[in-house]
Amino acid sequence: MELPDQSEFFKTIIYLFVTYYKIILYGLGVTILLSVVGTVGGFVLALGLTQQRVIHIDKKRDTKFVRIFKQVFKTLGDWYVTLLRGTPMIVQAMIIYYGIATLDIFPWWSPLPAGLIIVTLNTTAYISEVLRGGLQAVPIGQMEASRSLGLTYNKAMRKVVWPQAIKNSLPGIGNEFVVNLKDTAVLSVISVTDLFYAVTQSASATYRTIEAFVIAAIIYLIITYISSKFVNYLQKRVGTAKVVKV
Amino acid sequence: MKKILSVLVLIVTGITISACTNSQNTLVVGLEAAYAPFNWATQTPNEHTVRIEGQVGYVDGYDVVVAQHIADELNMKLVIKVFKWEGLITALQSKLIDVIIAGMSPTAERAKTVNFSDVYYRSEQVMVLLKTSTFNEATSLADFSGAKVVAQLGTLQDDLADQILNVNHLTPLESYGAITQSVKSGEADAFVAELPVAQSITATNSDLMYIQFSEGNGFVVTDEQVSVSIALRKSDTDLLESINTVLAGISEEQRNEWMSAALSRQN
Repeated sequence: MELPDQSEFFKTIIYLFVTYYKIILYGLGVTILLSVVGTVGGFVLALGLTQQRVIHIDKKRDTKFVRIFKQVFKTLGDWYVTLLRGTPMIVQAMIIYYGIATLDIFPWWSPLPAGLIIVTLNTTAYISEVLRGGLQAVPIGQMEASRSLGLTYNKAMRKVVWPQAIKNSLPGIGNEFVVNLKDTAVLSVISVTDLFYAVTQSASATYRTIEAFVIAAIIYLIITYISSKFVNYLQKRVGTAKVVKV
Repeated sequence: MKKILSVLVLIVTGITISACTNSQNTLVVGLEAAYAPFNWATQTPNEHTVRIEGQVGYVDGYDVVVAQHIADELNMKLVIKVFKWEGLITALQSKLIDVIIAGMSPTAERAKTVNFSDVYYRSEQVMVLLKTSTFNEATSLADFSGAKVVAQLGTLQDDLADQILNVNHLTPLESYGAITQSVKSGEADAFVAELPVAQSITATNSDLMYIQFSEGNGFVVTDEQVSVSIALRKSDTDLLESINTVLAGISEEQRNEWMSAALSRQN
């Protein structure tokens, strides 16, 4: 296929897609990988982080040492969330990627694994807030009833409170996935070949920039539309759950 | 959950292992894949293209031909990795790549951090603008007085823009894609570029033209500024020597021939 003339906007779009579809679809794959790993990994880490942040400090039963220990982790957890939510991911990416690259401690350090780690760390903070909201939405009576039935605090959290909190949080976590699909575009700043950077490359031989990015816009729209539909479906299934806006 | 986790672990290890490809007999070259005709990305391989490490596409261009030639002469296996322009020197320092062959000018500032080989291409600096622009009759830099001029972030061209009298020097942009668009949309009147880059951009964008300046009417540049060199780590002095030997064996005609061939392959 010949490169269409300057004036042929739509033909150029088709030309660029046909000529570069492998690179573009690879970029799409990386974007989806980043979002899936970021959201799943972020969810797992956020479970631990949130538990630290909401931990119950028992003034009567806990020894002084345990109280201090719990308080320190609680504060550190809050700081983590404040720091990661209070700075743009593009800034975090620059500091973490180039910082560790310059230290030269991991031989495997390269853009994609770095990107996966950065998006996971970032998503952890956001999902932790979602989960905290989900926990608060569980009526206090659930905990009281569990305790009066003889469950320990840990067991009551694990078997009664957390399952409900996670159910409450599912739509919020789904939203986080949709946000990640779009926001991982900033990771191109550290040379991760996601959809955004793949499209930049596709325009590199012809310098037909707008046409190439129309392709990117269409693909982003399709994947976010499909995943938002899925999140809505999840929301309906969960029924009464309160949706936490992030 | 366990299954998902183990799949994730597999993916991450896979990436990790594939990322460790540095060995003695490979020459790992870093470039941008967004600076035609020096280097650009394509998905259809030809006799000049090289696969991009850890990605599906290929790179083509003058830099790739030079890199292949050097690797062949030194009996090394060529591996090409793509990095953003701003990340190239950091990637070199953190040993993610061995050399940068990316149309980079050996400026004194960069030479503080990296070593540069002898010149592997020499060109001139031109202005690119819309054919319909009010500056389309310009013959000297002085004719661009008052123009809105843009260039790529962190490049020689961005510094040169200040030599234009009364210039309205716009915030530099990240890639030539963005720069081209900024001139096409009228955001900027013109941009500064190296001649082969300008030729390549105007060949695919028929509404653009470029202006070359005669001796004394153009930018004041030192010889090193209009040349491009290969960047290496300060410690790799042996490799530098071998590369210089190879470069010395490439004649001026050969270089020009490679460049015009690259220009014609572009579309």
